[in-house]
Amino acid sequence: MKKEVWFGLSIMAMVVIAAFVLLPSPSQMTNGHLGLLMLALVVVAIMLGFPTAFTLMGMGMVFAWIAYRSQNPGLAVQQTLDLMVQRTYSVMSNDVLISIPLFVFMGYLIERANLIEKLFKSMHLATARVPGSLAVATIITCAIFATATGIVGAVVTLMGLLALPAMLRAGYSVQLSAGAITAGGCLGILIPPSVMLIVYGATAGVSVVKLYAGAFFPGIMLASLYVLYVVVLAKWKPHLAPPMSEEDRRVPLPPFAEIVSTSISNKVLPGLIGAIKGKRNAAVPMRELVNHLVIAVLPALVVALIMGAIYLKVTAPLPPETVEGVVAMGGGISDSAEDEAPGVGGLAEPEEAGGLQPLPAEAGTPEATAKSPVEEVKTTEAQAPAAVPEAAVQERQPAPTSFWIGLVSCAVALALFYAYFSFARLEIFKMLLGSFFPLAMMILAVLGTIVFGVATPTEAAAMGSLGGILLAAAYRRLNMQVMRESVYLTAKTSAMVCWLFVGSSIFSAAFALLGGQEIINTWVLSMNMTPVQFMILAQVVIFLLGWPLEWTEIIVIFMPIFIPLLPHFGIDPLFFGLLVALNLQTAFLSPPVAMAAFYLKGVSPPHVTLNQIFAGMLPFMAIQVFAIFLLYQFPAIGMWLPEMLYK
Amino acid sequence: MQKLLLAVDKLSTVVGQAFSWLILALTLMISWEVFSRYAMDNPHPWAFDVMSMMYGTLFMTAGAYTLSKNGHVRGDVLYGFFPPRLQAGLDLALYILFFIPGVVAMAWAGYNFAAESWAINEHSNITANGPPVYPFKTVIPIAGAILLAQGLVEIVRCIVCLKQGEWPSRGQDVEEVDVEKLKEMVHVKDEDIAKLDEYVIHPKGSHP
Repeated sequence: MKKEVWFGLSIMAMVVIAAFVLLPSPSQMTNGHLGLLMLALVVVAIMLGFPTAFTLMGMGMVFAWIAYRSQNPGLAVQQTLDLMVQRTYSVMSNDVLISIPLFVFMGYLIERANLIEKLFKSMHLATARVPGSLAVATIITCAIFATATGIVGAVVTLMGLLALPAMLRAGYSVQLSAGAITAGGCLGILIPPSVMLIVYGATAGVSVVKLYAGAFFPGIMLASLYVLYVVVLAKWKPHLAPPMSEEDRRVPLPPFAEIVSTSISNKVLPGLIGAIKGKRNAAVPMRELVNHLVIAVLPALVVALIMGAIYLKVTAPLPPETVEGVVAMGGGISDSAEDEAPGVGGLAEPEEAGGLQPLPAEAGTPEATAKSPVEEVKTTEAQAPAAVPEAAVQERQPAPTSFWIGLVSCAVALALFYAYFSFARLEIFKMLLGSFFPLAMMILAVLGTIVFGVATPTEAAAMGSLGGILLAAAYRRLNMQVMRESVYLTAKTSAMVCWLFVGSSIFSAAFALLGGQEIINTWVLSMNMTPVQFMILAQVVIFLLGWPLEWTEIIVIFMPIFIPLLPHFGIDPLFFGLLVALNLQTAFLSPPVAMAAFYLKGVSPPHVTLNQIFAGMLPFMAIQVFAIFLLYQFPAIGMWLPEMLYK
Repeated sequence: MQKLLLAVDKLSTVVGQAFSWLILALTLMISWEVFSRYAMDNPHPWAFDVMSMMYGTLFMTAGAYTLSKNGHVRGDVLYGFFPPRLQAGLDLALYILFFIPGVVAMAWAGYNFAAESWAINEHSNITANGPPVYPFKTVIPIAGAILLAQGLVEIVRCIVCLKQGEWPSRGQDVEEVDVEKLKEMVHVKDEDIAKLDEYVIHPKGSHP
């Protein structure tokens, strides 16, 4: 037998032994002990491989009947039936879970829009100067694509097909390549809008809005830690990730750009303006020049619009309490955009600026988010001037100093950006415009509307799905087959998650009826743990459960047990949820059952072994553990945004 | 026998797929509702109820469809490594022990639940003049019945597998990670992957 089988059997044996050791003899058993027995049995039954939803449903039914019978034998059957149907109906009319099919649908549509090839290529050219650029581009591509789709298997497979060959050809080590792909592909589980957070929110009764606001920065932090690791490694051991050669880095220029850059100026702005105003080369059509000039000034335009919108908001004479949150946020993000810009290089600046762009649009006109990103740009342009006369009628307030500081730093960043904006960079910028910006904008639009309270998660998810349809249409991938496949897959995935909920809610009702929760509560409290000890214990237990079980099962079965304990230790369920989400990420990367590794193995060359892939994943797993530690040490990483927004 | 199995599969699939289009309807409806509320200042009080009914119907009816495609999440740490006969034996036992009683109880309770709702002509009370709820509650026994039929088919499959030593075939369906399709989508061929092997065996630096 294989070692995986022994691994699984030993876990099962441990659970059974623990159940026998901890439980009293049958004669002294109370209902509460039966509850614990049920919990142990369900772990064993799940590991036997039967569909978990029905295991939970059947077992929950049997134990609920036992619990009812001990109170009133005559009514037990009827009460059990009532309980089952009530629980089923409550899942069917649950207003949190309703966004799951919608987000899943959005994910399938975006996956099928086939943006990933373009996205990877443009990211790779954009990051060409960074050490380990291919791996960095892989992680960023994965992070964005996985966030938008949320489908680990598809992302890892696609990146295995695109990025792995590119990295191997460039002489990257197999381990580093595999690690970057698998770790990056799993980021989508954490970075909102993710289904995992909805499932946690529904189970723990925590607002999904707060969870999304809270998980945003930890997700970004984890992605940045990955990138940082790759960059440091590539600097330190260049043979693992050799820099790209000059010819790989060269961006092919269109003919007109060649002419302009050689004859007038290599910089875009002087080049184009000079070509339009002065004597033109006959070969360059005017139309193309103007088109490119429009594209080239887009970043400046966007920044101007945002600053204009913020200015209007800041100075508008509105009731202060509603203004404060929005304004402070806008300023906060644009400041952070500035901080990050120099580190990543000139090109990163407009990305951040572009990402910001939906926010003012939403603040003013919520319906703008319904439209595709391209249309959104137009809407903003149309809305901003429209807003001016209306607000200008009333008394204006003086803008705070922080606004002017922000404005100046924006202007400086833009000036720097244009100083380095060559024609090669214009090409990269055009590619990003076609792949990175639509996705990033969509994610931020969906998240923004949720986090700022403009729309409920359900509404934002529906808008996201509509955006997915439009995106697929824009990339000419929308046909009957794609639609049909996405619809069917959505039905299957949502049925899987929601039936699990049906099963688990019956199961947890039985557990509560038997009083298993009280036994666990008194047992944990009798250990007199400090909050820190409890937190570590909980995370270790979840981490261990992550080996044999999937995250859905862990959340729906075990979270109801942990959550009631949190108030005793004064832990915020929101913060706990963020730690759990980070923790369950590691489950995807922990051998021997890491899903991501098997997906990658499926599309890698025959001589890449599973062990190499596992070895590549280990450093990234260590980074995840480090990230959990960071989040625990500095809860503000996660709690700052929700606390500020929803005080 | 195989024909009967596939016929029931077909039924679950058709029902599940027909109702899965509700996701598109749900997307469009919510988008319209949001537009209607913000842009035209005309919210519809029934929208919330209809949303949750669409979602509930969608996932309940897809339960049997998902089961027929073996799509419900399993703990496959061990299961994946078992020989088919052992898998079938375990499944058979657990179908009889957990699945049949659970689903029968749910369908039966759902039947009474829905009948009661029909009898009192129940309407949603989330908003005034809410839409009728009884068709929605009827979904529970219907979904339960189809699921039960599909479960019986799965039991037969287990028995066939126990006899023959391998799993009988299932109907084809779209898969979440269809490697061939993904390869086609990003224009990667098997030969290209095989060619990469030289980079794995002889890393670039070690070339003479």
